[in-house]
Amino acid sequence: MRNGGENRGRLLVVILIVSALFLITLDLRGVSVIAGLRSGTHTALSPFQRAGNVIISPVKNFVNEVTHLGRTHTQIEDLRKQNQKLREQLIARKNQDGQIAQLKSILDLAGKASFKVVNAKVISQGSSLAFTRTITIDAGTSNGIQKNMTVISGYGLVGVVKEVFTNSALVMLATDPSFKVGVRIAGSQQIGILAGLGSINANLQLLDNQTTIKVGDVLLARGSINGRPFVPGVPVGRVTSVSNAAGAVTQSASVRYFTNFGALGVVSVVIQAPSADPRDSLVPAKPVPTPVPTVTVFVTPTSSPSPTTK
Amino acid sequence: MFIRRFAITSAIFLLIFIVQEAFVDQINLPAGGFSIFLILTLLWAALSTPVVAAAVGFGAGILLDLSPNTDGPLGHWTLILVLLSYTISFFSYGDENMRGNPLSLIFMVAAAQFFALIFYIGSGFLLGVAATGFVPTITTLIGSSIWTLIVTPLLLPAVAWLHDLAFDSRIHL
Repeated sequence: MRNGGENRGRLLVVILIVSALFLITLDLRGVSVIAGLRSGTHTALSPFQRAGNVIISPVKNFVNEVTHLGRTHTQIEDLRKQNQKLREQLIARKNQDGQIAQLKSILDLAGKASFKVVNAKVISQGSSLAFTRTITIDAGTSNGIQKNMTVISGYGLVGVVKEVFTNSALVMLATDPSFKVGVRIAGSQQIGILAGLGSINANLQLLDNQTTIKVGDVLLARGSINGRPFVPGVPVGRVTSVSNAAGAVTQSASVRYFTNFGALGVVSVVIQAPSADPRDSLVPAKPVPTPVPTVTVFVTPTSSPSPTTK
Repeated sequence: MFIRRFAITSAIFLLIFIVQEAFVDQINLPAGGFSIFLILTLLWAALSTPVVAAAVGFGAGILLDLSPNTDGPLGHWTLILVLLSYTISFFSYGDENMRGNPLSLIFMVAAAQFFALIFYIGSGFLLGVAATGFVPTITTLIGSSIWTLIVTPLLLPAVAWLHDLAFDSRIHL
Protein backbone atom coordinates (compact mmCIF):
# COMPACT_ATOMS: atom_id res chain seq x y z
CA MET A 1 0.00 0.00 0.00
CA ARG A 2 2.80 2.35 1.01
CA ASN A 3 4.74 1.38 -2.13
CA GLY A 4 1.66 2.14 -4.21
CA GLY A 5 1.47 5.62 -2.68
CA GLU A 6 5.14 6.28 -3.31
CA ASN A 7 4.83 5.14 -6.90
CA ARG A 8 1.86 7.44 -7.45
CA GLY A 9 3.88 10.28 -5.94
CA ARG A 10 6.84 9.61 -8.20
CA LEU A 11 4.51 9.39 -11.17
CA LEU A 12 3.08 12.80 -10.28
CA VAL A 13 6.58 14.29 -10.04
CA VAL A 14 7.46 12.81 -13.44
CA ILE A 15 4.24 14.24 -14.90
CA LEU A 16 5.07 17.68 -13.46
CA ILE A 17 8.60 17.57 -14.91
CA VAL A 18 7.30 16.49 -18.31
CA SER A 19 4.68 19.28 -18.17
CA ALA A 20 7.41 21.84 -17.43
CA LEU A 21 9.49 20.57 -20.35
CA PHE A 22 6.37 20.66 -22.54
CA LEU A 23 5.76 24.30 -21.57
CA ILE A 24 9.39 25.20 -22.37
CA THR A 25 9.05 23.56 -25.78
CA LEU A 26 5.79 25.37 -26.51
CA ASP A 27 7.27 28.72 -25.52
CA LEU A 28 10.43 28.22 -27.54
CA ARG A 29 8.30 27.33 -30.56
CA GLY A 30 6.53 30.66 -30.17
CA VAL A 31 3.01 29.43 -29.40
CA SER A 32 0.84 32.52 -29.17
CA VAL A 33 -1.16 31.27 -26.15
CA ILE A 34 1.98 31.48 -24.03
CA ALA A 35 2.62 35.07 -25.11
CA GLY A 36 -1.02 35.82 -24.33
CA LEU A 37 -0.64 34.36 -20.83
CA ARG A 38 2.41 36.53 -20.16
CA SER A 39 0.69 39.58 -21.53
CA GLY A 40 -2.38 38.84 -19.37
CA THR A 41 -0.23 38.51 -16.25
CA HIS A 42 1.53 41.74 -17.08
CA THR A 43 -1.81 43.51 -17.50
CA ALA A 44 -3.14 42.06 -14.25
CA LEU A 45 0.00 42.98 -12.32
CA SER A 46 0.51 46.49 -13.66
CA PRO A 47 -2.04 48.21 -11.32
CA PHE A 48 -0.34 46.55 -8.34
CA GLN A 49 3.07 47.56 -9.64
CA ARG A 50 1.91 51.15 -10.13
CA ALA A 51 0.52 51.24 -6.61
CA GLY A 52 3.67 49.58 -5.30
CA ASN A 53 5.83 52.12 -7.07
CA VAL A 54 4.02 55.01 -5.38
CA ILE A 55 4.27 53.40 -1.93
CA ILE A 56 7.81 52.09 -2.33
CA SER A 57 9.33 55.23 -3.88
CA PRO A 58 10.71 56.74 -0.61
CA VAL A 59 12.24 53.40 0.38
CA LYS A 60 13.58 52.88 -3.11
CA ASN A 61 15.16 56.33 -3.17
CA PHE A 62 16.72 55.78 0.22
CA VAL A 63 18.16 52.41 -0.81
CA ASN A 64 19.48 53.94 -4.02
CA GLU A 65 21.13 56.79 -2.14
CA VAL A 66 22.78 54.38 0.29
CA THR A 67 23.85 52.02 -2.48
CA HIS A 68 25.32 54.77 -4.62
CA LEU A 69 27.06 56.60 -1.84
CA GLY A 70 30.51 57.67 -3.05
CA ARG A 71 29.77 56.63 -6.59
CA THR A 72 29.16 60.10 -7.95
CA HIS A 73 32.21 59.88 -10.14
CA THR A 74 30.91 56.70 -11.76
CA GLN A 75 27.55 58.38 -12.23
CA ILE A 76 29.18 61.32 -14.01
CA GLU A 77 31.01 58.90 -16.27
CA ASP A 78 27.75 57.11 -16.98
CA LEU A 79 26.05 60.39 -17.79
CA ARG A 80 28.88 61.31 -20.15
CA LYS A 81 28.46 57.98 -21.91
CA GLN A 82 24.71 58.53 -22.07
CA ASN A 83 25.32 61.98 -23.54
CA GLN A 84 27.56 60.48 -26.19
CA LYS A 85 24.93 57.83 -26.91
CA LEU A 86 22.26 60.51 -27.24
CA ARG A 87 24.43 62.43 -29.69
CA GLU A 88 24.79 59.27 -31.75
CA GLN A 89 21.04 58.76 -31.57
CA LEU A 90 20.54 62.33 -32.77
CA ILE A 91 22.68 61.62 -35.81
CA ALA A 92 20.75 58.40 -36.40
CA ARG A 93 17.53 60.41 -36.06
CA LYS A 94 18.64 62.77 -38.80
CA ASN A 95 19.20 59.75 -41.00
CA GLN A 96 15.73 58.47 -40.11
CA ASP A 97 14.24 61.87 -40.92
CA GLY A 98 15.75 61.57 -44.39
CA GLN A 99 14.24 58.12 -44.78
CA ILE A 100 10.85 59.38 -43.61
CA ALA A 101 10.98 62.16 -46.21
CA GLN A 102 11.80 59.57 -48.89
CA LEU A 103 8.98 57.34 -47.71
CA LYS A 104 6.51 60.23 -47.74
CA SER A 105 7.38 61.13 -51.32
CA ILE A 106 7.05 57.46 -52.36
CA LEU A 107 3.65 57.18 -50.72
CA ASP A 108 2.54 60.42 -52.41
CA LEU A 109 3.54 58.99 -55.79
CA ALA A 110 2.02 55.56 -55.12
CA GLY A 111 -1.16 57.09 -53.75
CA LYS A 112 -1.62 59.34 -56.78
CA ALA A 113 -1.38 56.35 -59.11
CA SER A 114 -3.37 53.97 -56.82
CA PHE A 115 -0.44 51.55 -56.71
CA LYS A 116 -0.55 48.91 -53.99
CA VAL A 117 2.98 49.01 -52.58
CA VAL A 118 5.18 47.38 -49.97
CA ASN A 119 7.76 49.71 -48.45
CA ALA A 120 11.24 48.44 -47.77
CA LYS A 121 14.53 49.73 -46.46
CA VAL A 122 17.64 49.42 -48.58
CA ILE A 123 19.93 47.20 -46.54
CA SER A 124 22.76 46.86 -49.00
CA GLN A 125 23.93 48.67 -52.09
CA GLY A 126 25.96 47.08 -54.81
CA SER A 127 26.59 43.45 -55.45
CA SER A 128 29.34 40.91 -55.41
CA LEU A 129 28.97 40.89 -59.17
CA ALA A 130 31.09 43.88 -60.09
CA PHE A 131 29.35 44.88 -63.29
CA THR A 132 25.77 44.90 -62.13
CA ARG A 133 23.91 47.70 -60.40
CA THR A 134 21.76 46.20 -57.65
CA ILE A 135 20.42 46.90 -54.18
CA THR A 136 19.12 44.56 -51.50
CA ILE A 137 15.91 45.44 -49.66
CA ASP A 138 14.61 44.10 -46.35
CA ALA A 139 11.32 42.72 -47.68
CA GLY A 140 10.76 39.43 -49.46
CA THR A 141 8.21 36.72 -50.15
CA SER A 142 6.90 37.02 -46.59
CA ASN A 143 5.78 40.55 -47.48
CA GLY A 144 4.14 39.52 -50.74
CA ILE A 145 7.03 40.44 -53.01
CA GLN A 146 7.61 38.35 -56.11
CA LYS A 147 10.09 38.33 -58.94
CA ASN A 148 9.73 40.94 -61.71
CA MET A 149 7.87 43.55 -59.69
CA THR A 150 8.46 47.26 -60.24
CA VAL A 151 10.45 49.13 -57.59
CA ILE A 152 9.90 52.87 -57.21
CA SER A 153 11.20 55.76 -55.16
CA GLY A 154 9.51 59.08 -54.47
CA TYR A 155 10.89 60.41 -57.76
CA GLY A 156 10.08 57.50 -60.03
CA LEU A 157 11.43 54.23 -61.32
CA VAL A 158 14.22 52.54 -59.35
CA GLY A 159 14.37 49.11 -60.97
CA VAL A 160 12.85 45.68 -60.95
CA VAL A 161 12.93 42.78 -58.46
CA LYS A 162 15.48 40.32 -59.79
CA GLU A 163 15.68 37.72 -57.03
CA VAL A 164 13.42 37.29 -54.03
CA PHE A 165 14.04 35.51 -50.74
CA THR A 166 11.94 35.06 -47.60
CA ASN A 167 12.85 38.34 -45.93
CA SER A 168 14.88 40.15 -48.56
CA ALA A 169 15.01 40.79 -52.27
CA LEU A 170 17.61 41.78 -54.83
CA VAL A 171 16.61 44.68 -57.05
CA MET A 172 18.21 45.36 -60.42
CA LEU A 173 18.58 49.12 -60.72
CA ALA A 174 17.55 51.01 -63.84
CA THR A 175 21.17 52.08 -64.19
CA ASP A 176 22.29 48.49 -64.80
CA PRO A 177 23.76 48.11 -68.30
CA SER A 178 21.46 45.16 -69.02
CA PHE A 179 18.34 47.02 -67.87
CA LYS A 180 15.75 47.86 -70.52
CA VAL A 181 12.31 49.39 -70.12
CA GLY A 182 9.61 50.38 -72.59
CA VAL A 183 8.82 54.08 -72.21
CA ARG A 184 6.56 56.72 -73.71
CA ILE A 185 6.97 60.45 -73.84
CA ALA A 186 4.45 62.25 -71.67
CA GLY A 187 2.13 64.30 -73.85
CA SER A 188 3.07 63.10 -77.33
CA GLN A 189 2.78 59.41 -76.30
CA GLN A 190 5.64 58.40 -78.61
CA ILE A 191 7.18 55.12 -77.54
CA GLY A 192 10.73 53.92 -77.27
CA ILE A 193 13.13 51.69 -75.38
CA LEU A 194 15.31 53.03 -72.61
CA ALA A 195 18.52 51.17 -71.79
CA GLY A 196 20.73 51.63 -68.73
CA LEU A 197 24.33 52.69 -69.22
CA GLY A 198 25.76 52.01 -65.76
CA SER A 199 25.40 55.67 -64.74
CA ILE A 200 22.68 58.20 -63.90
CA ASN A 201 22.12 58.66 -67.64
CA ALA A 202 20.39 56.21 -69.98
CA ASN A 203 19.97 55.86 -73.69
CA LEU A 204 16.56 56.24 -75.34
CA GLN A 205 15.86 54.70 -78.74
CA LEU A 206 12.60 55.80 -80.32
CA LEU A 207 10.71 53.16 -82.30
CA ASP A 208 9.15 55.51 -84.84
CA ASN A 209 11.46 57.53 -87.13
CA GLN A 210 8.66 59.98 -88.01
CA THR A 211 8.43 61.39 -84.53
CA THR A 212 10.49 64.07 -82.88
CA ILE A 213 11.85 64.37 -79.41
CA LYS A 214 13.12 67.44 -77.59
CA VAL A 215 15.20 68.25 -74.56
CA GLY A 216 13.07 68.40 -71.42
CA ASP A 217 10.58 65.75 -72.48
CA VAL A 218 9.49 63.51 -69.60
CA LEU A 219 9.53 59.73 -70.01
CA LEU A 220 7.05 57.43 -68.29
CA ALA A 221 7.07 53.63 -68.10
CA ARG A 222 4.80 52.16 -70.74
CA GLY A 223 3.80 49.22 -68.59
CA SER A 224 3.77 45.48 -69.15
CA ILE A 225 1.06 42.85 -69.31
CA ASN A 226 -0.46 42.44 -65.82
CA GLY A 227 1.86 45.18 -64.59
CA ARG A 228 4.96 42.95 -64.46
CA PRO A 229 7.79 43.71 -64.69
CA PHE A 230 6.68 47.32 -65.16
CA VAL A 231 3.54 49.11 -64.06
CA PRO A 232 2.39 51.90 -66.38
CA GLY A 233 2.80 55.59 -65.72
CA VAL A 234 5.86 55.54 -63.44
CA PRO A 235 8.10 58.57 -64.11
CA VAL A 236 11.46 57.42 -65.43
CA GLY A 237 13.53 60.42 -66.45
CA ARG A 238 13.94 63.59 -68.50
CA VAL A 239 15.58 63.99 -71.91
CA THR A 240 18.84 65.91 -71.57
CA SER A 241 20.14 65.77 -75.15
CA VAL A 242 18.93 64.56 -78.52
CA SER A 243 21.16 62.86 -81.03
CA ASN A 244 20.47 63.76 -84.62
CA ALA A 245 23.05 61.61 -86.33
CA ALA A 246 22.80 61.79 -90.09
CA GLY A 247 21.67 58.51 -91.59
CA ALA A 248 20.29 57.13 -88.33
CA VAL A 249 17.18 54.99 -88.79
CA THR A 250 15.56 56.12 -85.56
CA GLN A 251 16.10 59.03 -83.25
CA SER A 252 17.98 58.50 -79.99
CA ALA A 253 18.41 60.64 -76.92
CA SER A 254 20.23 60.80 -73.65
CA VAL A 255 17.99 60.63 -70.59
CA ARG A 256 18.70 61.49 -67.00
CA TYR A 257 16.82 59.40 -64.41
CA PHE A 258 14.66 61.19 -61.87
CA THR A 259 15.77 58.89 -59.05
CA ASN A 260 19.01 59.62 -57.23
CA PHE A 261 20.41 56.11 -57.07
CA GLY A 262 23.23 57.10 -54.75
CA ALA A 263 20.88 58.14 -51.95
CA LEU A 264 18.34 55.34 -51.86
CA GLY A 265 17.22 54.77 -48.27
CA VAL A 266 13.63 53.65 -48.64
CA VAL A 267 11.93 52.23 -51.72
CA SER A 268 8.57 50.70 -52.53
CA VAL A 269 7.75 47.56 -54.46
CA VAL A 270 4.54 47.78 -56.47
CA ILE A 271 2.76 44.53 -55.70
CA GLN A 272 -0.40 45.44 -57.56
CA ALA A 273 -0.85 47.72 -60.56
CA PRO A 274 -3.83 50.08 -60.70
CA SER A 275 -6.88 48.93 -62.63
CA ALA A 276 -6.66 52.03 -64.84
CA ASP A 277 -3.53 53.42 -66.48
CA PRO A 278 -2.61 56.63 -64.62
CA ARG A 279 -1.59 58.15 -68.01
CA ASP A 280 0.40 61.34 -67.50
CA SER A 281 -0.83 62.07 -63.97
CA LEU A 282 2.54 61.21 -62.40
CA VAL A 283 4.60 63.60 -64.51
CA PRO A 284 6.65 65.59 -62.01
CA ALA A 285 6.30 69.36 -61.98
CA LYS A 286 8.98 71.19 -63.91
CA PRO A 287 11.64 72.59 -61.61
CA VAL A 288 11.20 76.31 -61.08
CA PRO A 289 14.51 78.18 -61.23
CA THR A 290 15.23 80.04 -58.03
CA PRO A 291 16.27 83.66 -58.72
CA VAL A 292 19.77 84.37 -57.46
CA PRO A 293 19.93 87.77 -55.75
CA THR A 294 22.68 90.01 -57.06
CA VAL A 295 24.31 92.83 -55.15
CA THR A 296 25.76 95.84 -56.93
CA VAL A 297 28.25 98.01 -55.10
CA PHE A 298 29.00 101.50 -56.36
CA VAL A 299 32.35 102.91 -55.34
CA THR A 300 33.09 106.58 -55.84
CA PRO A 301 36.82 107.53 -55.75
CA THR A 302 37.68 110.36 -53.33
CA SER A 303 40.66 112.71 -53.31
CA SER A 304 41.73 111.89 -49.70
CA PRO A 305 43.47 108.54 -49.20
CA SER A 306 41.71 106.00 -47.09
CA PRO A 307 43.34 105.09 -43.74
CA THR A 308 45.44 101.94 -43.77
CA THR A 309 46.43 99.71 -40.93
CA LYS A 310 50.02 98.77 -40.29
CA MET B 1 -9.99 18.80 2.53
CA PHE B 2 -7.99 18.89 -0.65
CA ILE B 3 -9.95 21.89 -1.96
CA ARG B 4 -9.44 23.78 1.30
CA ARG B 5 -5.69 23.13 1.26
CA PHE B 6 -5.42 24.01 -2.38
CA ALA B 7 -7.40 27.22 -1.96
CA ILE B 8 -5.44 28.42 1.07
CA THR B 9 -2.07 27.55 -0.49
CA SER B 10 -3.00 29.21 -3.80
CA ALA B 11 -4.23 32.35 -2.06
CA ILE B 12 -1.03 32.62 0.02
CA PHE B 13 1.24 32.10 -2.97
CA LEU B 14 -0.72 34.51 -5.16
CA LEU B 15 -0.62 37.20 -2.47
CA ILE B 16 3.12 36.82 -1.88
CA PHE B 17 3.71 36.80 -5.64
CA ILE B 18 1.90 40.15 -5.96
CA VAL B 19 3.83 41.55 -2.99
CA GLN B 20 7.07 40.38 -4.57
CA GLU B 21 6.25 41.92 -7.96
CA ALA B 22 4.67 45.13 -6.69
CA PHE B 23 6.95 45.97 -3.79
CA VAL B 24 10.07 43.87 -3.24
CA ASP B 25 11.23 43.82 -6.86
CA GLN B 26 10.95 47.59 -7.11
CA ILE B 27 13.34 48.38 -4.26
CA ASN B 28 16.45 47.46 -6.30
CA LEU B 29 18.39 46.15 -3.36
CA PRO B 30 22.14 45.82 -3.82
CA ALA B 31 23.72 42.51 -4.80
CA GLY B 32 20.60 41.03 -6.32
CA GLY B 33 18.33 41.44 -3.30
CA PHE B 34 16.04 38.61 -2.25
CA SER B 35 12.82 36.98 -3.38
CA ILE B 36 10.27 36.38 -0.63
CA PHE B 37 8.32 34.31 -3.14
CA LEU B 38 11.26 31.96 -3.69
CA ILE B 39 11.92 31.78 0.04
CA LEU B 40 8.23 31.00 0.68
CA THR B 41 8.25 28.24 -1.95
CA LEU B 42 11.40 26.60 -0.61
CA LEU B 43 10.30 26.86 3.02
CA TRP B 44 6.87 25.48 2.13
CA ALA B 45 8.54 22.60 0.31
CA ALA B 46 10.79 21.89 3.29
CA LEU B 47 7.73 21.64 5.54
CA SER B 48 5.63 19.49 3.16
CA THR B 49 5.64 15.94 1.83
CA PRO B 50 7.67 15.41 -1.39
CA VAL B 51 4.55 15.14 -3.55
CA VAL B 52 2.98 18.32 -2.15
CA ALA B 53 6.37 20.05 -2.44
CA ALA B 54 6.64 19.11 -6.11
CA ALA B 55 3.09 20.31 -6.80
CA VAL B 56 3.72 23.57 -4.94
CA GLY B 57 7.00 23.98 -6.85
CA PHE B 58 5.11 23.52 -10.09
CA GLY B 59 2.51 26.17 -9.26
CA ALA B 60 5.09 28.60 -7.92
CA GLY B 61 7.29 28.01 -10.96
CA ILE B 62 4.42 28.81 -13.30
CA LEU B 63 3.79 32.07 -11.44
CA LEU B 64 7.50 32.98 -11.54
CA ASP B 65 7.61 32.18 -15.25
CA LEU B 66 4.65 34.47 -15.87
CA SER B 67 6.32 37.32 -14.02
CA PRO B 68 7.15 40.27 -16.29
CA ASN B 69 10.65 40.30 -14.79
CA THR B 70 11.43 36.78 -16.00
CA ASP B 71 13.29 36.59 -19.27
CA GLY B 72 13.39 32.80 -19.67
CA PRO B 73 10.80 30.68 -21.47
CA LEU B 74 7.62 29.57 -19.68
CA GLY B 75 8.39 26.36 -17.81
CA HIS B 76 11.99 27.30 -17.01
CA TRP B 77 11.42 28.21 -13.35
CA THR B 78 8.71 25.54 -13.19
CA LEU B 79 11.17 22.78 -14.00
CA ILE B 80 13.76 24.08 -11.53
CA LEU B 81 11.28 24.53 -8.69
CA VAL B 82 9.64 21.13 -9.18
CA LEU B 83 13.03 19.44 -8.94
CA LEU B 84 14.35 21.57 -6.07
CA SER B 85 11.15 21.50 -4.02
CA TYR B 86 10.96 17.72 -4.34
CA THR B 87 14.65 17.38 -3.39
CA ILE B 88 14.34 19.65 -0.34
CA SER B 89 11.27 17.83 0.88
CA PHE B 90 12.88 14.47 0.19
CA PHE B 91 15.75 15.36 2.53
CA SER B 92 13.78 17.19 5.20
CA TYR B 93 10.39 15.44 5.44
CA GLY B 94 10.35 12.85 8.17
CA ASP B 95 13.63 14.08 9.62
CA GLU B 96 12.52 15.86 12.77
CA ASN B 97 16.07 17.04 13.49
CA MET B 98 15.96 18.94 10.24
CA ARG B 99 12.37 20.19 10.40
CA GLY B 100 12.44 20.99 14.08
CA ASN B 101 15.61 23.05 13.87
CA PRO B 102 15.06 26.54 12.45
CA LEU B 103 18.77 26.99 11.72
CA SER B 104 18.85 23.85 9.57
CA LEU B 105 15.81 25.07 7.64
CA ILE B 106 17.30 28.54 7.13
CA PHE B 107 20.60 27.18 5.82
CA MET B 108 18.84 24.62 3.66
CA VAL B 109 16.62 27.28 2.10
CA ALA B 110 19.61 29.57 1.49
CA ALA B 111 21.53 26.72 -0.13
CA ALA B 112 18.49 25.70 -2.21
CA GLN B 113 18.03 29.29 -3.35
CA PHE B 114 21.72 29.41 -4.33
CA PHE B 115 21.37 26.19 -6.35
CA ALA B 116 18.08 27.37 -7.87
CA LEU B 117 19.87 30.42 -9.26
CA ILE B 118 22.79 28.31 -10.49
CA PHE B 119 20.40 25.91 -12.25
CA TYR B 120 18.49 28.86 -13.66
CA ILE B 121 21.65 30.39 -15.12
CA GLY B 122 22.97 27.03 -16.35
CA SER B 123 19.75 25.89 -17.98
CA GLY B 124 19.14 29.45 -19.24
CA PHE B 125 22.46 29.24 -21.03
CA LEU B 126 21.27 26.06 -22.77
CA LEU B 127 17.89 27.62 -23.60
CA GLY B 128 19.45 30.75 -25.08
CA VAL B 129 18.54 33.20 -22.30
CA ALA B 130 20.84 36.23 -22.42
CA ALA B 131 23.27 36.08 -19.52
CA THR B 132 25.03 38.94 -17.79
CA GLY B 133 28.77 39.05 -17.17
CA PHE B 134 30.69 36.77 -14.85
CA VAL B 135 31.24 39.29 -12.04
CA PRO B 136 27.60 40.49 -11.83
CA THR B 137 26.45 36.85 -11.86
CA ILE B 138 28.76 35.87 -9.00
CA THR B 139 27.81 39.01 -7.07
CA THR B 140 24.12 38.20 -7.47
CA LEU B 141 24.60 34.57 -6.47
CA ILE B 142 26.53 35.36 -3.30
CA GLY B 143 24.57 38.51 -2.49
CA SER B 144 21.16 36.92 -2.82
CA SER B 145 22.25 33.97 -0.68
CA ILE B 146 23.30 36.37 2.06
CA TRP B 147 20.02 38.28 1.69
CA THR B 148 18.14 34.97 1.93
CA LEU B 149 20.05 34.08 5.10
CA ILE B 150 18.99 37.43 6.57
CA VAL B 151 15.34 37.40 5.45
CA THR B 152 14.45 33.71 5.94
CA PRO B 153 14.53 33.84 9.80
CA LEU B 154 12.10 36.76 9.62
CA LEU B 155 9.69 34.89 7.36
CA LEU B 156 10.04 31.43 8.87
CA PRO B 157 7.56 31.82 11.78
CA ALA B 158 4.92 33.32 9.47
CA VAL B 159 5.40 30.64 6.81
CA ALA B 160 5.29 27.87 9.42
CA TRP B 161 2.07 29.32 10.83
CA LEU B 162 0.50 29.59 7.36
CA HIS B 163 1.58 26.04 6.52
CA ASP B 164 0.03 24.87 9.78
CA LEU B 165 -3.14 26.74 8.87
CA ALA B 166 -3.35 25.08 5.47
CA PHE B 167 -2.31 21.56 6.43
CA ASP B 168 -2.99 21.33 10.18
CA SER B 169 0.50 19.90 10.46
CA ARG B 170 1.30 21.32 13.93
CA ILE B 171 4.89 22.18 13.24
CA HIS B 172 6.66 23.47 16.29
CA LEU B 173 9.85 25.30 15.63
